[in-house]
Amino acid sequence: MAPRLPARCWRQLSSPSALSPSSSLLSKTCRLPAPTPVTLSAPAASTYLSTASARCARTGWSTLPPRTAKPYRFNQVTSGLPAPTTGPAAALKRKERTTPVRAGVLAVKKGMTVFMGKRGARIPCTVLQLDRVQTVFNKTRSKHGYWAVQVGMGERHPDNVGAPLLGYFEAKGIPPKQVLAEFRVRDESGLLPVGVQLQPDWFQVGQRVDVRSNSRGQGFAGGMKRHGFAGQEKSHGNSLNHRTIGSVGPSQGSGSRVLPGKKMPGRMGNQRVTVQNLPVLLVDNDLGIVVVKGCVAGPKGCIVRIQDACKKEPPARDFVQQARQRLEERFPDAEAHLQAARERHLELKAARRDKRIAELLEGGLTVPQSQADEIEQILAAAEEEDKGGRNAEVMA
Amino acid sequence: MNAAPLARRPLGCLKATLRQTRHQRLLVRHMATEASQTTSKPPVQHGFYPITDPKKKTIRTAFAVYPQGTVAGVKNASPPPSNVLQALHEAQIKRLDPTGVRTAMFGKNRDAVKPGDVLMITHRRGGEPFAGVVMSIRRRGIDSAVLLRNHLGKIGVEMWFKIYNKNVAGIDIIKRAPKRARRARLTYMRQPKHDMGSVENLVFEWKRTRKVFSTAKSAAGAGGKNAKGAKAAKKK
Repeated sequence: MAPRLPARCWRQLSSPSALSPSSSLLSKTCRLPAPTPVTLSAPAASTYLSTASARCARTGWSTLPPRTAKPYRFNQVTSGLPAPTTGPAAALKRKERTTPVRAGVLAVKKGMTVFMGKRGARIPCTVLQLDRVQTVFNKTRSKHGYWAVQVGMGERHPDNVGAPLLGYFEAKGIPPKQVLAEFRVRDESGLLPVGVQLQPDWFQVGQRVDVRSNSRGQGFAGGMKRHGFAGQEKSHGNSLNHRTIGSVGPSQGSGSRVLPGKKMPGRMGNQRVTVQNLPVLLVDNDLGIVVVKGCVAGPKGCIVRIQDACKKEPPARDFVQQARQRLEERFPDAEAHLQAARERHLELKAARRDKRIAELLEGGLTVPQSQADEIEQILAAAEEEDKGGRNAEVMA
Repeated sequence: MNAAPLARRPLGCLKATLRQTRHQRLLVRHMATEASQTTSKPPVQHGFYPITDPKKKTIRTAFAVYPQGTVAGVKNASPPPSNVLQALHEAQIKRLDPTGVRTAMFGKNRDAVKPGDVLMITHRRGGEPFAGVVMSIRRRGIDSAVLLRNHLGKIGVEMWFKIYNKNVAGIDIIKRAPKRARRARLTYMRQPKHDMGSVENLVFEWKRTRKVFSTAKSAAGAGGKNAKGAKAAKKK
């Protein structure tokens, strides 16, 4: 049964102006668009507000800061509550410490060898080769929810690339890549210019790296090999069950079922394996190799991801800056090329949409203005050189 | 890559138009801008990769494809060398064996050590040198090794030695096998029937002959100078 209201409350409700939806109290709580009735008079509204008891009954009161526009959204910054421990921002914050400062590279495992020290030490090591590793794309917090650099390696014949990816590479001004991979970085300072090449000197000799790759596939393996089960007896009446896994669970009392995740025979290997904190022994730009101490999962020729170790200190800040500077010095016009490629991509995209692409191919290549200027400059310079050379000959 | 559309590209007419614009610009160009001209690698031109409609046999669509090795608009990346491991091995061998003696000793030539020979290996940090029959030679570039077998107090002992390791100070050839072994790995020597037993007698014999043939001075320091003796032994 509904609680009985005291007389002072329903006395007000009985008056015609209080029943209309545009009474000041209702409009304050619900914010309904109100057709203002003629009956409402300003002094009447003020009398309702002035009665404290009515306000308590209807809206209550609180010492918290007043709630603003959308009272159904709680736990706002203004509400004075602690910052949430879940959600995208909290997740980024939580992973901040274990996310590397800068991007990693892709490489191919070439094999293992040893380092013979001058004092007789013998260090087994793995040779990883970088094959034309280029940055392809930057992912940002505002657009994708996290910071990351997409990196590509190797080459792929356009026959083996689908149309969507061909368009993607076209827009970047990059030849089709064999593999693409994404490396998460801590913040925007880790993002790189698009299209530049990352070379082995991106890493410092002595620094620690995490190396990820897929292990060798072992095919369908039994319980003994896959999970290290003990197997069964060779004799004592055992027949044909020497390597089988045995019982997979208790009977009726426990539900007569196999629990989820029960270890059983199945496909073994070809899973991603991370080897953490491998020291870098050697970097060589000419050979394109990074040599790390110890072994790395997978067969020779497998694709490997190398990134600064997440559980160790990143390389010295000076080195990181130098590596970054080297990139910019080696490829000063990366930005311009990307812009040109983008413009070209837009042109071609429009042509494809309008079915003009066949005609465009028949008509020949039209060079975009920016590239035309560059070609022009170079041709002019070459011609001048020729002239200069000829003049010198004449003088001689 | 895609040869057909590249060939179709009328570079000639492009050249003509460019030449015209260049001449126009030359007319208005100042001397100041002339000085700033620099020559660099030409920016790459992309080719086209057409995708044909299999039924109509017409070009359905086409994408610009930049040539392999394009980095930041210039072609300056080439595929890395494929034989890096070999290069690494050679560089290290050059560093650790500058005279090439060790390489020659375990190479595949006539004078090289073969399975069945008896070797004595001296450790860098002193201690008793280890002598034994060569059971197998594992050739792996810088990681090449040799397996020696001997008897120490009637117990068979086998030891692997990395031939390029700095801990291996000297390698002496005690005795050549009288006949070439017909196996690469003489694992049958582990069987009692074929076991050669201790090589102590051979080593003793070898030391005695060395004392006879060498001068008194070098005979006095024979223990410590085995490393140099190795080369002499090899030449013998």
